[in-house]
Parts: sequence; C-alpha cells; structure tokens
Amino acid sequence: MSEEYEPNILAFLCNWCSYAGADLAGTSRTHYLPNIKIIRVMCSGRVNPLFLVNALQQGADGVLISGCHPGDCHYLEGNFYARRRFMLMRKLLEHVGVDPGRVNMSWVSASEGAKFKEVIDETVAKAKEAGPMDQFRRRQLNW
Amino acid sequence: MSSRRPKIGVYVCHCGINIGSVVDVPAVVEYASSLPGVAIAREYTYMCSDPGQNLVKEDIKTSGLNRVIVASCSPRMHEPTFRKTLKEAGLNPYFLEMANIREQCSWVHEDHAEATEKAKKLVEAAVAKALVLEALEEKEVDVIPSCLVIGAGIAGIQAALDIADAGFKVYVVEKTPSVGGHMSQLDKTFPTLDCSACILTPKMVDVANHPNIELMTYSQVEAVEGYVGNFKATIRKKARYVDVSKCTGCGVCAENCRLAGRIPSEFDENIGMRSAIYLPFPQAVPAKYTIDPERCLQLSKGKCGKEGPACAEACTAGAVNFEQEDELVDIECGTIIVATGYDVFDAARKPEYAWSDYANVITGLEFERLVSASGPTGGKPLLGRDKKGEGGYLPQKVAFIHCVGSRDKSVGNEYCSRVCCMYLAKQAHLIRDKLPEADITVYYMDVRAFGKGFEEFYDRVRREGVRYVRGNPSEVFKKNADPEDHTLIVKVEDTLTAQALEAEHDMVVLGVGLEPRHDVREIIDLFKLSQSTDGFFMEAHPKLRPVDTASDGIFLAGCCQGPKDIPDTVAQAKGAASSALILIASGKVNVEAQVSFVTSSECRGCGFCVEVCPFGAIELVDENRMGNIVKVALVNEALCKGCGSCAAACLSGAIQPRSFKDEQILPQIAVLGVRT
Amino acid sequence: MVDETILREKAREVLARDDVRRLIGWKRGTYGYESAPAVLKDASQADELIFDPTCVQNPASFITLEEKLPVPRGQDPDTRKVAVLVKGCDSRAVVQQLVEKAYTRDGVIVLGVPCTGVVDRRKAQKMFGDTSEPVMIKEEGDKFVFIIDGETREGPRAELLADKCVRCRFPNPLVYDELVADEVAVWGADEFADVDEFEKMSPPEKWKFWEEQFSKCIRCYSCRNVCPMCYCLECVVTKQKPQWTRRSTDVSENTAYHIQRAWHLSGRCIECGECERVCPVDIPITTLNRKMTRDVKELFSYEPGVDVEAEPLLSCYNPQDPEEYIM
Repeated sequence: MSEEYEPNILAFLCNWCSYAGADLAGTSRTHYLPNIKIIRVMCSGRVNPLFLVNALQQGADGVLISGCHPGDCHYLEGNFYARRRFMLMRKLLEHVGVDPGRVNMSWVSASEGAKFKEVIDETVAKAKEAGPMDQFRRRQLNW
Repeated sequence: MSSRRPKIGVYVCHCGINIGSVVDVPAVVEYASSLPGVAIAREYTYMCSDPGQNLVKEDIKTSGLNRVIVASCSPRMHEPTFRKTLKEAGLNPYFLEMANIREQCSWVHEDHAEATEKAKKLVEAAVAKALVLEALEEKEVDVIPSCLVIGAGIAGIQAALDIADAGFKVYVVEKTPSVGGHMSQLDKTFPTLDCSACILTPKMVDVANHPNIELMTYSQVEAVEGYVGNFKATIRKKARYVDVSKCTGCGVCAENCRLAGRIPSEFDENIGMRSAIYLPFPQAVPAKYTIDPERCLQLSKGKCGKEGPACAEACTAGAVNFEQEDELVDIECGTIIVATGYDVFDAARKPEYAWSDYANVITGLEFERLVSASGPTGGKPLLGRDKKGEGGYLPQKVAFIHCVGSRDKSVGNEYCSRVCCMYLAKQAHLIRDKLPEADITVYYMDVRAFGKGFEEFYDRVRREGVRYVRGNPSEVFKKNADPEDHTLIVKVEDTLTAQALEAEHDMVVLGVGLEPRHDVREIIDLFKLSQSTDGFFMEAHPKLRPVDTASDGIFLAGCCQGPKDIPDTVAQAKGAASSALILIASGKVNVEAQVSFVTSSECRGCGFCVEVCPFGAIELVDENRMGNIVKVALVNEALCKGCGSCAAACLSGAIQPRSFKDEQILPQIAVLGVRT
Repeated sequence: MVDETILREKAREVLARDDVRRLIGWKRGTYGYESAPAVLKDASQADELIFDPTCVQNPASFITLEEKLPVPRGQDPDTRKVAVLVKGCDSRAVVQQLVEKAYTRDGVIVLGVPCTGVVDRRKAQKMFGDTSEPVMIKEEGDKFVFIIDGETREGPRAELLADKCVRCRFPNPLVYDELVADEVAVWGADEFADVDEFEKMSPPEKWKFWEEQFSKCIRCYSCRNVCPMCYCLECVVTKQKPQWTRRSTDVSENTAYHIQRAWHLSGRCIECGECERVCPVDIPITTLNRKMTRDVKELFSYEPGVDVEAEPLLSCYNPQDPEEYIM
C-alpha cells in the first residue's frame, strides 16, 4: 500500500484464556497498539464465522479470533470447533479476494500476556500490509 | 422496573490514576452522554468503592435507570461486584455491561489521545449492547452435602478432616496404598525440627477412622461428570489382592515373600527394600498389605515357586486373594478438592551432578529417608552399603547444592520451589547433629529464608559451623577411579570472591525442587483444570481466589497449585475446605444464568447443536407445530455452561446463548468495526 | 439408457400405494431446453413423467420445500411417504438431508435413475439459439440430438454436457429403494482443476472478478430457494432481527450475502449445481462452492452427501486438525 494507515482490528477473545491473557498484558503494563478493539465472548467456539464477514463489511481491516490452547478449552471442545470453522472461513474469504492476512487466529492462554502483545503486533502488521479493507465495505453506515 | 425503553447510566471510573492518568475521563463521559439511550453519564474516582456503588444505586432509584454501564477494569475483576450493586438496587443484574478501559486500554496504551478515543469506542460498544440486553433469571440448584478429595497427602488429609469435622460426608481417594503423601517420607520439619511422622500420623489415623470420611486408598478417579453441587464420580478401587477385611497387618506374608528384601521400596526412595506383598511403611494407613502386581511372581509370571505363593500359605487370616479384581464405585458429591501434590525433580535431568552415576550423590528426599530413624539405615547417614544393606561408611565432608531443577531455564523450571533453601539448611543441621566432626558446605544461589522462623533457623545453622558458599556448582565428578575412594570433586565458582574452587566431598546432597506431577495431564482432562506457565494447576485468581478453579465447585489444595511448605499447604487446605463448606453448608448454589435457549419456531431440527455441545446439554424433542410433529432442539439449562458453540453451529440462528446473542454481538461489531 | 415406460410403471406402482403422499420427478417443460419438476399425487398422472437429458433439476430440493400446513383440529397430520426420482447427483442431496435429519429414511421412497449426463441450457442456447417451444433431447453415442421447433439438430455431447456432468463421479444414485434402470459406468473424475486455475489469481484479481459478478446480483434469492440444503424456516440472510445483511443490492451487501450462502453450504454442498443454473444474471455461484468442497476434502478428508452415517463436518472435529495459520 502506498500510504501508511492505521488499521482497525476487531478481536473476539474467549473469556477464560485469551481475554484473561489480554487482562494480564494490562496488569503487566505491556504496551501494544491501540488499533485493536476487543469483543468478549465466553468461548472461541461462540464466534460465528459470519461475524468476521460482518466486521469486514462494517470496515474492520482485520479480525482476530483467540481462544484457549487446544485441549485447554474451558468448555472442553469449543476451540476445536472454532479452529475448523475459521480455517474454512479464511479460505473462503481468500477465494473472494480478501487478503488472508486479515483473518487471524491465535491460542493465547491466561498466562500469556506477552504472547498476546506479539499476536496483536503481528495482526496489525498483516493488516497494514494488506492495506485498508475497502473491498466490500459498507458505503453508507448510518441510515 | 420497566425495561422496555432503555434508560442507560454510564459510569466512567478513574481508578485512582490508573485510568484517569491516560484516558481523558471527562471527555469519555461527555461522549457517552451524547449516545442514544444514555440518560446519565458520570465519572468517579473508584467506582468499585462503596460511594461509587452507591452512586449507581441512587441513580437507579431516583432516575429510573434500567441499564448500567461501568467503564472501568476488566469484567473478570468486578462484574460480580457491579452485578450485586444492580441487584441491591432492585435491577436485574444482567442489565450490566462493562467496558474494560483499564486492562485493555489505559494500562496498555501510551498515547493519551488514542487511548481516549479507544475508551470512547469501548463505551459506545457497551451502550450498543446494553440497548439490547435482557433480564436473566438466576437459578439455584441444591448442593449434595459432600466433598470428594483427590489425594491424601497432608493437604488432602487436612481438607478432608475439616469438612468431616463440620459434619459432612467426605470421600478421600488416594492413588497409593497408604495416605500420608510426601510428608510421611520426611524426617524432621523445618524450622521447628518436629518429627514429621509424629505430627502427621495422628491425622492419618483420624482420616481412616473418622465416621464422616470414606477413605479409598489404592484407588483412582476414572470419570467425573456433572456440575457444581451435583458431581458424579466413578472411582476405580484397584485390586490389592489382599482382602482388607481379613488382613490384620501382621506382616507374616511379607516375611515369607520369595522376593522379600529384593524390591526397591518407593517409600524409601529406593534406598531400602521391600517384598512383593508389602506395607509401604510401618505407620501406613490403612495398615493393610498390598501385592505389587508387576513384581509379584504369581501375578506377573503366573507361578511362584514350586509350592505356590508363600504369602498366601503364611497368612493365617486367609486374606491373600489372587482372584481379586478392580472394583468400580460410583459416588455423588457436591464439591471436589484436588490435592494431588507434586513430584520431586528428577535429578537425572541434571547429568552434570552425576546423581545417576555415584551412590554418594543423593537427592534431598533420599537424604530424608537416610537420616530418618525409621529409614533403611535406622537414621545413620550410611553410604555405600552393599546389596544386603550392610557395611557402608559415614561421610566426613558433605556438600549440599541448592536450586537443582528450580530457577533453572535449562530444565524448563523458572520458578523457585520455595522449600529447598530451608530443607537443605535443616538437613545440614541434621548432619551436624549426627556427625559433629563432619565438614559441611552449602552451595547456594540465594538463600530465601522468608517464612516464620526461617531466617533465625538459617542463622543458627550457620552458627553451627555450616559453611555457605555462594555459587552454583557446574560439575560433580569422582576424584579417581579407585572404588574404595569415595571422594567427589565439586566444581564451583565462589561468586563472592570470584574464585574457582574444586572442593572435595564424600557426600553430595542435591536440593531437588518440586515439579508438577508426571500424570498431571490425566487430572487436567478429568476435571478440566488449566495450568499456569509453570505447569502447576491454575487458580481462578492469583490473589483473590487462590484455592478456586475456573470450574465452579472444584478447589485446589497444596502443592498441586504450586510449591509450598507444610504450613502453607495446611493453610490452603483449610481454605479449600472452607470454600467447599460454603457451598455444602448453604446447600444451594446459583447456576449459570447465561445459558443457551432455542427459539423453537426457527429450529429446523438438524441437530448440529446437539452434536457440538460439549456437555450433552441439548437434545432433539418432538414439537407440535400446528398439528405437525417436528423435531426441535431443547436445552437442559442445568447442564448448559453457556459457551455458545451451539450458536455458531446453528445455521438459522435458532439457538442463542443469553447475553451473547447474535443480536447483542452484531451491534458491538457495528460500533467497533468502524475505522475512525 | 432409461426406459421411460419402466420409469412410469414403477412410479405408477409407488403412487398407487396407500402410504405414499406424492411423487416428485420430471415432466416436459413448457419451453426451452429444460424439463419441469413434476409433483404427482395420483397414479393416473404417472405418464407425465419423463427422463432425458433435459432433466437437469434436482427433485430432492422439493422434498424439504414442502410447506407443513396447519393440521385442522381433530385431524392427524399426513405422515405418508414422499417418493422422489433422483439422478446420481441428486441422490447426494437425499444423503445429506438424511445426515441433517430433514426427514427419516423411511419417510421417503427413493427411485434411483442412473444417468449419463444432462444438457446445460446455456450451452445449448449458445449453439442453437432460443426457442419458445419445449425442446426434445436424445443422447446418441457422443452426440446429443435435439428436436427444436420441429427441426432436428445435433451437437457434440462433450460440448453440451452440464459442467457437473463432465466431472460426474456419481452417475448412479448412492441411496435408493429401487433403480429404474441398470447402473451405468462412471466416466468422470474431479481434480478440481477449475479451482486451481481460479486460485492462480492474486487477491486483487479475485476481488475484481467477484466485484463484477456480485454487482450483477439482484438478490432474488433463487440460488438459495432452489438449493436442496437450504430449508431453514427463516433464513438468517433475510431475517430482520438480527439483521446480518441489509436488503439493498449494493456490492457490499451482495458480497456479504454470497459469502454467507457459501459459508452455510461449506461441508454441506453436494454439487448439484442448481444455484448456478437458476441464477438469472449468470453469476458463477458454484465457483465459491467448489472451492469449499475442494478445501473440505483436502483439509478434513470430508465429502458431504456420500455417507448417511457421517457426522456433519462442522459439528465434529479432529484434535489433529490443521492449524498452521494459527498464532
């Protein structure tokens, strides 16, 4: 992309691991980019892949779904379902021409505040590289 | 309280200066008051304080607020606090939404303007969600007045006794043939030097005899299901091949065992020997013998001597029974305490200390058995005994090495094991006591004498002539190949004098640390616990909920949560017991209100949700749809944990988790997705 | 080759049964190169049925589309079976509908029709032009013989076959109670060359392609309505609360709609190609579905609509599922 822009990233974090990891990053005063806005869900398995489409449509330049490491899901299996779903959704979006760097997923445990920062940095970097998401952004937001 | 037309109150917290020094709070308040549905927007220094909460309560009462947004710290921190506030003011607690502008804004962003903008957005998203929040009903379920305690070390014993003394039923499951755990292996305890067995044994006996305790030794939990208040566990009582109702514990069987004195005793850290039919140690509770099925000739080879098993013949009570089989027992309990303890660090993973190579390099726990009056050497620190346990010599120059397997990234253990400094000091004292002439050196990185009486004890040990050298030995090796010469060289740099030393010793004791149990994974899978970075079980909150786990009704006690000394373990066990007792004594517990529900008129009965649900909480049932019988999903609210996996699997959106419905998340996306 | 007299005879037998409510099949269309779906209630109507290369529709779509009308008080609901004629490809829809518990196996009678390929309307139109009269088509060796407005024309089979038939791996029905003709030999194979070819494009090129395609969409929802797998009582794309997509037909909402549609069919699409066939503005809709089908097969070794016992793809998982992109 020609000019530098600040991407807007929407993150869906599971309450038990990743949201707690993000809290830990806060408690440890780990500074990261303010581009990321977090929506708390109980489990990564809750995140309907269509939320991503909606986010991209609303104008998010990248999305992140983060859950517990495989095997550590507070609800036993939610992250396994999420892994499958987002793997496919990412492929589908890629097929439509959405840069795959916009769709990110991570496993961040409650003790990985430092990893959370790394994940944010990488997600933002990828979204920067992909440029502003204006392919199928809603032109008229309020009516 | 009318909730039809949302009247939202937004409360932005300064959190002292934690939020206010980065985020422009007045600007956020101003922005919030411009948002649709917002009736009141205020700021306050500490929203969680009493005056802060009163502010909310007053506004609810006087202005008729029906939605409350608190923009402050993480909902993981204070959501319960403010839910309670709403409840006290007569508002449904689920009309609360929090905006996390501390952990995920002021604490992580440096740029004040950007942080303020983000805080505004987070508040706006909370408002968007608040507009569509719904009142939820909190339900109560009965708590079965009993507790299952896993592990019968000092933590499990103490927790079980406390609950049993309060008058409630306790099931204690212990994997090994006897209760007691690691504490029963210790000789003296620091810093008071009371005899470990003397203070532990009465408690062991109490556990076995308490009318409210059902003790299951040599048993393991096979499966657990259910939820807080109503757990069901299946316990496998492994076959002892000894009828415990007949066994008198006389020990004639062990004396007659063909392998008597030929099997290394786990209890004695393999220094002493036992038989194939054995009592782990003389004070074992229950005092019933057990046959080791892997070593017993009859059980492993199918044949024991020409005349058949000698133990069975010797047993006058006729207790030996080779036909015995594992027994599965189902129990129901309201709470669970996990007290599975720890493993000591495997010294073989530090090959530079040559523990595997030389008999006179031993671990701290081996040392305990060696100096224990009930140990294989009768309390004499004898080294180099022969296979029959005879001969041997007393060491003259003893070295103790700190931090073996702790504070050591090379073995993956960054943490301090908390007990090694003091147990090594105690062991140095014991050597001084038993061998007044011995030369004693302790090699340490730091001495952490933090507990009550620790520093005084450390001081006393030094005054008794124990030399402390600050340095982490790099190598231990034998001075020469002569088998009669036991001299070992400890290579170390004295970091206080910057001198490289090669000191001679004839006994080296490794201060091995504490590690998560090797079978920790099984427990995790069974109870769905999570682990901290160090591998120990993770508590629900490191400060405020140190004995709780993320799973309601399951508590932690002792070293399974992290290294601890005995008083800390006992304190935590008592804490876990009281936490369990809160549930048991009140008899009721609130279950998750944020569960899934099905709009059956939209359900097409495909069963995707049924297959996704990890808790088996959904089933397909018949529904009469205008005379046609169709299948639709139905949620069992007592089993549902509210994860919402079903909602993501549902194609029609018929099943939705309360408080996290599509129509509640989409507005948040609409706010936060917009690039500013 | 299917003998229509046998087909009609079997249909007549089935329709005559007391426990059969209706039979779904094909009848002669009113104009052009395609047959029309036939929904018969009575054995006397059996002679309307046909089977020839015009029979491109998937009758399985109509099993789930039947509206469950209110049952008058005092009456019992009609629980009689529905009989359906299916080609190999259509039968996969039945399999998948069974996987998704749309009905039970004994609620349907499946008459299998082994098929040697049907004609693509668009290809025939290109070759022979439009007509307002129904066209008859016969297969003769490697040719299709057409009778268009009374005139006999012929064209090469390979050029006129529908795309799904070119790569057909299931000419014989996978689930049936009875076959109306002998099974035929499999001729096709599917290497997903079209997907590979499409993927050679860069993301901006792909988007350029789709932007053009999706701009055409008039959101008539024909693709959704015809799909044998789409039978929710209320579809999320047209729901008002919550509203996932707005009703305006701009490229943003259209794209969102098509992604939603393709997503909901991932691991469920049985490649009958009906969506693309019915599209009035010629959007290559199956290009999206084909991509999902290929990836589902590659990533999870899963193929929908071939095994009645299979678990739905997204309602199960394998702990070893690929996760190379996960941070």
